[in-house]
Amino acid sequence: MAELILHSGERFEQVFFNEPELNLHIVQEAGSEVKMHVINFASGTNNIVVEQRGEGCKTDIYALAYLHGDEAVQTETHVLHAIGGGTSNQLIKFVLDDRAKGRFIGDLKIAQDAQQVEAHQTNRNLLLSETAEMRTQPQLEIYADDVKATHGASTGQLDESTLFYMRQRGLSEQKARQLLVGAFMREVIDSIGEAGTESALKSQLLDTIDGVVE
Amino acid sequence: MNTLLEIHNLHASIGGKEILKGVDLTIHEGEVHAIMGPNGAGKSTLSAVLTGHPAYEVTEGTVLLHGENLLAMEPEVRARAGVFLSFQYPVEIPGVSMTNFMRTAVNEKRAYEGKEPLSAREFLALMREKKKLLELPDKLNNRSVNEGFSGGEKKKNEIFQMAMLTPCLAILDETDSGLDIDALRIVAEGVNRLKSPQNASIVITHYQRLLDYIVPDYVHVLADGRIVKTGDKTLALELEEKGYEMLTANS
Repeated sequence: MAELILHSGERFEQVFFNEPELNLHIVQEAGSEVKMHVINFASGTNNIVVEQRGEGCKTDIYALAYLHGDEAVQTETHVLHAIGGGTSNQLIKFVLDDRAKGRFIGDLKIAQDAQQVEAHQTNRNLLLSETAEMRTQPQLEIYADDVKATHGASTGQLDESTLFYMRQRGLSEQKARQLLVGAFMREVIDSIGEAGTESALKSQLLDTIDGVVE
Repeated sequence: MNTLLEIHNLHASIGGKEILKGVDLTIHEGEVHAIMGPNGAGKSTLSAVLTGHPAYEVTEGTVLLHGENLLAMEPEVRARAGVFLSFQYPVEIPGVSMTNFMRTAVNEKRAYEGKEPLSAREFLALMREKKKLLELPDKLNNRSVNEGFSGGEKKKNEIFQMAMLTPCLAILDETDSGLDIDALRIVAEGVNRLKSPQNASIVITHYQRLLDYIVPDYVHVLADGRIVKTGDKTLALELEEKGYEMLTANS
């Protein structure tokens, strides 16, 4: 696996779109920042390892998979806070239609000496059909005592009372669903930065979502 | 006066439990009907059934809107045909902006009426105009539908949507609940200004207070799934004074 070392104060920002197989191992030194988006609109596997080995590092991982038919995505994140004073945020979303399969393995580890860490891991999944399947396996290992760590995972369907509200305003059920799915995905896309090559891909992705929205 | 809505012997249940047990009600264009009654009488069920909420099952009876079978229409078709419900508990829709939502709704209705969609410019001008009616701030355009709105803002937003969609039949389900007196006045003024000789409203309320502002032509009392008494606006005052027990005492 390719290993990337971010030196003190360096910043890594990238969007990975439709990579069939993403393997990434990043080692962060003091004060470095990582912000990545992993977007899959087709099958793929993602294995992301981030180690905070210096103080005051920042790690933001966003992932979105939107799958149809028999597509499948497995996303694995391993975030290690070896040293204190850092933050990590993970927002992982899957939207699964037809017989699509999603799997998230989220491994978050805060070492014994890594005090004053703030770590959040959120996994939200939307099932659009009865036959779609989602498996979530969060693994939290927290050995330090002065830390703030949260984790949440939920898998659900579109809210019936919201759909009825929208239909009561004249939107077809299909249109209402499209708007809600678009809104669910937008949270991830909106967080992509506006700088350089990022912004072109961001608007391309927003167009794709608007295409979903129609 | 033309007949707008005819409800005959309407029975409806939810989860096998019968809530409406034979409702009869005829509404003509230009009329305001208040429906009052104790909790659990079936007031909200009536609004849910008229708008096609999928959780309710109509077991007997007919409902005609302008002579057409309303019960055979999908909820969105009823909406496009002009049935509007101001929800007792408006739903928050994170990530869907008011502008996008309303533009879609307005253009769906226009398509149903065989009209061209509004351009972005025309639509925004319409939003601005209708917003003034409810004293809603412009910033609401870019916010997600009802997200983070106060109770009063949500109810104003319902009437704002009503103003945008110009329904022929507006059902106001407990629109007064949770409103302070200023918000109540603004909401009621909005409703009154939308009144025309061609449309009608059903005002569902537990209290007489709202009817000081939206004056009904008829007041109906719904109890145990049936309309048990009909009168003019003085009936609401009488109910306020004597309570719903007077009905059981009379019968």
